[in-house]
Amino acid sequence: MTGSAVAADGRERWGSKVGFMLAAAGSAVGLGNIWRFPAVTYENGGGAFIIPYLVALVTAALPILMLEYGLGHRYRAGAPFTFRQIRRRWEWLGWWQTAVSFLVVTYYVTILGWCLSYMVYSFGTQWGDDPAGFFIGSFLGTSADGDPSGFWQFGGLQLKVLLAVAIAWLLVYAILMRRVSKGIELAAKVFMPLLVVLLLIIVIRGITLPGAAVGLDVLFTPDFAALGNPAVWIAAYGQVFFSTSIAFGTMIAYSSYLQRKTDLTNSAAVVGLSNSGFEILAAVGVFSVLGFLANASGAQVTDVVESGVGLAFIAFPAIINELPGLNSLFGVLFFGALFIAGITSAVSILEPGIAAVREKFSLSRPAAVTILTGLAALISLLYVSKGGLFYLDTADRFLNNFGLVLCGLGEIVLVGWVARALNGMQTHLNATSYFKAGWWWKGSLLIITPLLLGSMTVYNLYTELTTRYEDYPLSGLIVIGWGAVVLSLAVAVLMQAVRKSHQIPSEG
Amino acid sequence: MGTSAIVMLLIGVVVVYGSLTAAVVNYIRASRKDVS
Repeated sequence: MTGSAVAADGRERWGSKVGFMLAAAGSAVGLGNIWRFPAVTYENGGGAFIIPYLVALVTAALPILMLEYGLGHRYRAGAPFTFRQIRRRWEWLGWWQTAVSFLVVTYYVTILGWCLSYMVYSFGTQWGDDPAGFFIGSFLGTSADGDPSGFWQFGGLQLKVLLAVAIAWLLVYAILMRRVSKGIELAAKVFMPLLVVLLLIIVIRGITLPGAAVGLDVLFTPDFAALGNPAVWIAAYGQVFFSTSIAFGTMIAYSSYLQRKTDLTNSAAVVGLSNSGFEILAAVGVFSVLGFLANASGAQVTDVVESGVGLAFIAFPAIINELPGLNSLFGVLFFGALFIAGITSAVSILEPGIAAVREKFSLSRPAAVTILTGLAALISLLYVSKGGLFYLDTADRFLNNFGLVLCGLGEIVLVGWVARALNGMQTHLNATSYFKAGWWWKGSLLIITPLLLGSMTVYNLYTELTTRYEDYPLSGLIVIGWGAVVLSLAVAVLMQAVRKSHQIPSEG
Repeated sequence: MGTSAIVMLLIGVVVVYGSLTAAVVNYIRASRKDVS
């Protein structure tokens, strides 16, 4: 079960298979499981959403996870060099994945800084009676009190946010510097069990609050008519796609550190299903406490439903204010859980870049970690400014909808259709695996997933061209949103053009 | 909670956690074979 941290070929290795699975699960389980899945379920047919969700899990999330595990395990490289070995001219696709994940981590760690601050603010519920005003105004100092007209009012840095974000970056840096086995793996072994315990405490507290049953009823009462709506199916595929760390290059890099004899399909099943199990549990916890909030404030549950940043930093503080006791402790546990879920994901989003840069430029791990973490931390200053909330929201939307989705689509098109390498991958996966990747695996990857990802892109593009997101100025959407996507693509093309011999530096 | 809500919650929980348990059991069995 355990092995050396460095293999004979000089490439780092996981210390154990369990360590790898915990790290991969830690990558998949992130902020989106807690603050995205519950609202997506509620908005897309409630309990009926479970059906398309499970279909998407089996036909998209698990097949792509298996594919990425197989790619990393077979080619022993990060995404760029993996794709280069499949088709020389497709190295850029790996760099695009790497660049998108790099830009994502710049705002992801900013949110971790917010979580750290809110753990402190939980003592004595320092956000007061107006959590929205506190978050937008006092804490973030958002320009024009969050009105889109303030989009371009940069307004300087918000120092109280800066300090917390710097601490979050230092922790990410420290974990990555300690290498795969003693850094990423050790962090996952400590944080993942802790996260499960924290979530269980939150869920048990949530379902024992008055009004919890009403919240769960609103979440899980099925609207089967919604299943006839294609948008609901697209939402289900979007949810499993965004929540399993697919197309970030993470799973390719992580599986490249695996030992030769590893059960790949079963590992993918454990990781994918753990992720789903976690988000279903989180949904129960979130809607229990939303039911409690509605009950306490005399409102309908439908009036208090929030998602994303609004759920975590506005709705939850309001919920914590209303709790009958141990308010501060519940706040620390909730924001602590968010932070822990996020830190293992943040580390995993940066690791593909570190692996890729090391292979391209023969850098040592300390050099690659220092350069990339430093650069990412510098870029994250943009989100610490008083316009930061606007920039974060815009970058997140465009990098997810057009960066990640297209990277995932490109990966499947390359392996399945351009290189026609699925048969070889199937043989590779099945050589070491307990249950076999069969016809359903190939059918899902060749037909279902490309169709769904293509439909998502068309749908997202149509939405973007016909409505203006959050009423932000068009210039803002073009510069920050489309700009981030174009920048990541430009970096990818540039890196393909740079001629360097791919070498994996020895860890000796 | 209504009956239909409970049924849908149970479907999700049973399918996901049941499959997860099966995958973990498979993994442990395979690991034991490895060791022997």
